[in-house]
Amino acid sequence: MKGQTNVLDRSRKREAFLMLLPSVLLLILVSIYPFIWMFRYVFYDYNGFVSYFVGMDNFKRGLKDQYFLNAVLHTFEYAFWKLIIVIPLALILGYILTWKMRGMRLFQGVYFMPTIISSAISGMIFYFIFSPFNGVLNGILRSINPSRPAVDWLGNSQIVMYSVVAVAIWGGFGNYITLMMSGFLGIPHDLYESARIDGANEATIFFRITLPMLGPVLKVVLTIAITTAFKDYEMILVLTQGGPNHRTDVMFSYIYQMAFGTAPGAPSQLGYAATLSLYAAVIVGIITVIFTRLTRNMDDIQ
Amino acid sequence: MQGVLSFRGKVIRVIIYILLIFLAVVTIYPILYVILGSFKSNMELLLGGANIFPKQFILDNYIEAWEKANFSVYTRNSFIIATGVMFLSLLVSSMAGYVFARSHFKGKDALYNLFLIFMFINVGSIAIRPLFELAAKTHLDSSLTVIIIIATGMGQTTYIFLMTGNIKAIPTEIDEAARIDGCSFFSTFWRVILPIIKPAIATVAILSFRSGWNQYILPNVFTMTNPGLRPLTVGVVLLKSSGDGAAAWNIMFAGSAMSIIPIILVYIIFSKYFISGSTAGAVKG
Repeated sequence: MKGQTNVLDRSRKREAFLMLLPSVLLLILVSIYPFIWMFRYVFYDYNGFVSYFVGMDNFKRGLKDQYFLNAVLHTFEYAFWKLIIVIPLALILGYILTWKMRGMRLFQGVYFMPTIISSAISGMIFYFIFSPFNGVLNGILRSINPSRPAVDWLGNSQIVMYSVVAVAIWGGFGNYITLMMSGFLGIPHDLYESARIDGANEATIFFRITLPMLGPVLKVVLTIAITTAFKDYEMILVLTQGGPNHRTDVMFSYIYQMAFGTAPGAPSQLGYAATLSLYAAVIVGIITVIFTRLTRNMDDIQ
Repeated sequence: MQGVLSFRGKVIRVIIYILLIFLAVVTIYPILYVILGSFKSNMELLLGGANIFPKQFILDNYIEAWEKANFSVYTRNSFIIATGVMFLSLLVSSMAGYVFARSHFKGKDALYNLFLIFMFINVGSIAIRPLFELAAKTHLDSSLTVIIIIATGMGQTTYIFLMTGNIKAIPTEIDEAARIDGCSFFSTFWRVILPIIKPAIATVAILSFRSGWNQYILPNVFTMTNPGLRPLTVGVVLLKSSGDGAAAWNIMFAGSAMSIIPIILVYIIFSKYFISGSTAGAVKG
């Protein structure tokens, strides 16, 4: 009898192993193997055909590469503006949409809609909208004030970062509203009831009960929002290619162009791109760790 | 916000609705602009202006895109990639989720954490290069299969966690009963568990379909020398950079609309799963 269960157990183990195998193989292929590959080529000069060992040269070059350093700054700039707008907006709207008023589900559905569109196509849509001569945004501005000169939304280096951020907000805020809503809806209702009985007004309830109770969810949402903002680049790549004059280069768009040689006149520099990817991953990692440290007490609800 | 509202309450309510509607218009306008614009003539598109509605609805842009600009091929490829990623993601993540939820073996937690770690470590597009080299070496780079496999691998962790969470919520007595009835580990999963987790299956199906449909960087790298394998996203963006410029605005509009309309239809039908899916990965994980 005991022998039989052992045989059964063994066959169940084997089945479990086989069922897990595809996902483990995919993890090795798509995540672990490229990671190891990257650690090899950070020491090489590699154009896609031949590679030379160059030691630490790529690392040194990265620290002196003005375009990359600017791209790092731009990444922070982009993330800052995106977060400073998206988070309060999502917090307020998420709160309002949980009220029992007519049409709230519809509003949520509409706000969420841009998040289902490919970021590449979002870049295309706003390329049309921002077009200086025949774009609809200048069309609308002209119809309000015909004497107004056309604004070059994507060509003016003073404006372009805000144009890019606006697209990012449009494409992402619905997602954060939904996350915030699930947080608000998770707060036990009797807390509100007892506060009302104690005579607290709506504002007091929001700041004294709702916000602190939202802490753990807010932390998760912020973590997602921050890491996402630092990793965005597809839409930027399509909308501006990092231009004009590298003004909207963020880390990962610069790396993409370095790796795949899509910038005009620049060949692939895979070893250097691998090094910059490592730098970028470390920067995102450090940001995440700092954020987690800073917000440690958001998990404690008193 | 309940019962009889004071005058002040009503005013606040009206202001809130006005703000919500304004924001809804701003949100939906770009989408409508592209879809309606795809029915405008190229002349009208090049003149621009503030009018969102076409002077007259024409289908020429679609016909031209479909027949002359290869968009029939791009559309087919987008559908193949999206459905391929969907089925493969469902298969891989539901099986792995079941094992993580129900099986006990040494190193299970370590493996689970390995998945988690690599969800957070993101080295960006450089990771595509070694995969491309591998595909070229094994001569797999001339089919959509390899794009489907890689896209599935890149997205699988969220789905595995979602499945694990859902299966853990099912009482283990159900598995025990199936086992006593003579079901093997796999057939318990296949015949008993899968029918119970239909909502999770729907969520993963929707999310992975969308992710496959929206892939851009990956197929862009893999089809640089292979136009016949390009999906809509890659095809449309290439028109922008190809220097045809003004001549191709109508085709770019039609192509963008072709990429948006199917996914929006799916969204309108299954919006519940899209929205629940966006929180499932984040709050439970």
